[in-house]
Amino acid sequence: MKPAPFVIAAIVVVGIIRLGMRRRRGSSRSSMPRVTARGHDRRLFGDTGLVAGREIRERLRGRVFRVITAILFVAVAAAIVIPSLRGGTTQSQRVGVVAGSPQLSTELSSLARSAGLSVYVVSESNLAQARADLSAGRIDMALDGTNAIIVENPISATDTSSGARFVRDVSVAVGEQHAFALAALTSQQTAVLAGAKPLPIESIKPGKVRKTTSETTAMLGVILIFIVLNQYLAWTLMGVMEEKASRVVEVLLATVRPIQLLAGKVIGIGVVALAQAAGLVVFALVLGTAVGSSLVKGTAPLVVAATLLWLVLGYAFYSWVYAAAGSMAERQDQVQSLALPLSVPLILGYIVSLIGVSSGNASLLVKVLAYIPPTAPFAMPTLVGFGDATWWEFLLSVVLSIACTIFVALFAARIYRTAVLRTGGRVRFRQLTLTSKK
Amino acid sequence: MQSITWTCLYENSILQGTSSLSGILELDGLTRRFDAVKALDSLSFSVPSGQVVGFLGPNGAGKTTAMRAIFGLTDLDSGSVRWNSALVGPAERRRFGYMPEERGLYPNMLVAEELEYLGRLHGMGTAGAAAATKLWLERLDVADRASSKVETLSHGNQQRVQLAAALVHDPEVLVLDEPLAGLDPTGIDVIGQVLVEQARAGRCVLFSSHQLDQVEDLCESVAIIDHGRLVVSGTVDELATKGARRLAIRIEGDRQGEWTQAIPGVTVSEIQGGEIRLVLDDSAKSDAILDAARSAGRVTKFVFERRRLSEVFREAVSR
Repeated sequence: MKPAPFVIAAIVVVGIIRLGMRRRRGSSRSSMPRVTARGHDRRLFGDTGLVAGREIRERLRGRVFRVITAILFVAVAAAIVIPSLRGGTTQSQRVGVVAGSPQLSTELSSLARSAGLSVYVVSESNLAQARADLSAGRIDMALDGTNAIIVENPISATDTSSGARFVRDVSVAVGEQHAFALAALTSQQTAVLAGAKPLPIESIKPGKVRKTTSETTAMLGVILIFIVLNQYLAWTLMGVMEEKASRVVEVLLATVRPIQLLAGKVIGIGVVALAQAAGLVVFALVLGTAVGSSLVKGTAPLVVAATLLWLVLGYAFYSWVYAAAGSMAERQDQVQSLALPLSVPLILGYIVSLIGVSSGNASLLVKVLAYIPPTAPFAMPTLVGFGDATWWEFLLSVVLSIACTIFVALFAARIYRTAVLRTGGRVRFRQLTLTSKK
Repeated sequence: MQSITWTCLYENSILQGTSSLSGILELDGLTRRFDAVKALDSLSFSVPSGQVVGFLGPNGAGKTTAMRAIFGLTDLDSGSVRWNSALVGPAERRRFGYMPEERGLYPNMLVAEELEYLGRLHGMGTAGAAAATKLWLERLDVADRASSKVETLSHGNQQRVQLAAALVHDPEVLVLDEPLAGLDPTGIDVIGQVLVEQARAGRCVLFSSHQLDQVEDLCESVAIIDHGRLVVSGTVDELATKGARRLAIRIEGDRQGEWTQAIPGVTVSEIQGGEIRLVLDDSAKSDAILDAARSAGRVTKFVFERRRLSEVFREAVSR
């Protein structure tokens, strides 16, 4: 077991938490009793930037954020490290061989190489000795000539770890060798038989080879998007509602325009969300590479990129809707009645995509949902995971999503502007349409 | 020490030309209808700089709506708000300070950070906002709570912080919706002093209140509204002396005031606790009244009275 991945993981987690705890350093400089000229300060994005900045500071500082981040990092670490612990603790296989031959040793080495392992052959004087070594853990498997393979624990048919694959490969290969030997074939004949290939299987529909690693990555991506969207959309919803409930919105809107306040909040929370998700993904990639996890192989990095992009697009689409909903409520119970219908497309997209990705087949529903902006953040990365989306299909979905987001944002800003200053009970849609006509 | 830093703050702002120190806020024909109710009905009045103007009216008269209209927080059906004859827009509002009726601060932000943030939203630099925050927290006696969360403060202290939030960016116009409500006498003194100071420094100060005695002490002038309309406005002095002269007389042993009946131009408005209050019309002669009083008994009080603001108010809003 290599300690390096755990050290890296620990450093990243601590780093993120430290970032969240970086507080009050700026304000302690305030003891300077000097009024400087106004407006000479760097204000990169104007009032919207200030609002977003406050949002980021307050969110990173919150205990909720730190706890959730820590849990997510631990969960990701577990998702990556545990399978590789189970599968490949033994990067080299120690095989005890009774009545071996140099030929057999070479055969074992080449089989191990194809399973991504190295092999260490131990000569055993007899079967009893081999069994003793196996139960003492000195070897991982014993090979009794061409009679049998003995392992410590039964190997299930679904175990795809490299160790299990090696054992199965050895059992087949040695069995074949034995059969060749019994048939007294010439070395040429043996080579022909050994080179036998299964017939290629063709389908009448052109398809791609399913890459299970990408699918697994897509599944993790869909889960990540769901968790992150849920968490941060709830923040947007509650944040707007709290500003309205505490009436601080009156003070703010006396100097900032509603769209600046709304955009600042959406962007601020979005930056935190993206940073957290990107941190998790980088952490997963680093850790995955370090422990040799299959999650980072093949086209998986493409799926990772698609996941992050769709996280951003999904947040952008939903955040306006949730913010507008938050502006219509001023109490927790009102928020809940608003949040439920909003989360329906989110949950639909998530569940359909998750079922698709775990069944190993992109259903027609997934393919349709991949072009509908509310569900695309889940369905499109799933299609990418299956390799079922061409670049232009992907782009079409992105463009559709952005166009729809702009439309939704404009509508939401209008609702927000009217509703956020209207107090005394939940704002109804009917009231909004009445006032916005005027 | 504190006054020195204050002078510095004001001098700084004057030197930087951030405050013109003279100006006028005008509300012109504000009309706002909510369904069947007219919250504002052609409301017009102005707040000149250098004055504390009290904004009075019964509950629901439209004070809060008018104040919100100054900040664009409510749509107007007609009318306009002008600052130095320019229509008030986002740029002007940055130079205004507002304390809303229902208050409003982020409950879980630290006091100092919250004020700095609001200062920056009004266009201040980081260092300027921090310095002004410090000064205002000291001035309002809440400096020791600078790094507490707003929600942990007492009602009175939250109110002081809310006032600091309206003042932190050194505004030219202060609009405060019931800044004295629910405060103890010390709090009223501190906030009242600040309002007067601000007016002395050339700011426009408009504040609403139901505490008419305080308004009388603090304000140079008042605007009284009812049903969204302006019913009375003017300086406190004018209003107190306007109308019929009023005389309070106390005569030992006299409880009925019958001696007044023969005097021309005199009406008894109130007899209470041995004191008689007379309203005089133009024909009434104070000499003749004094003579009549002396013939009725030993005169222990003979005073021309100013009208209390509360009386002006009751008269103005009586329906």
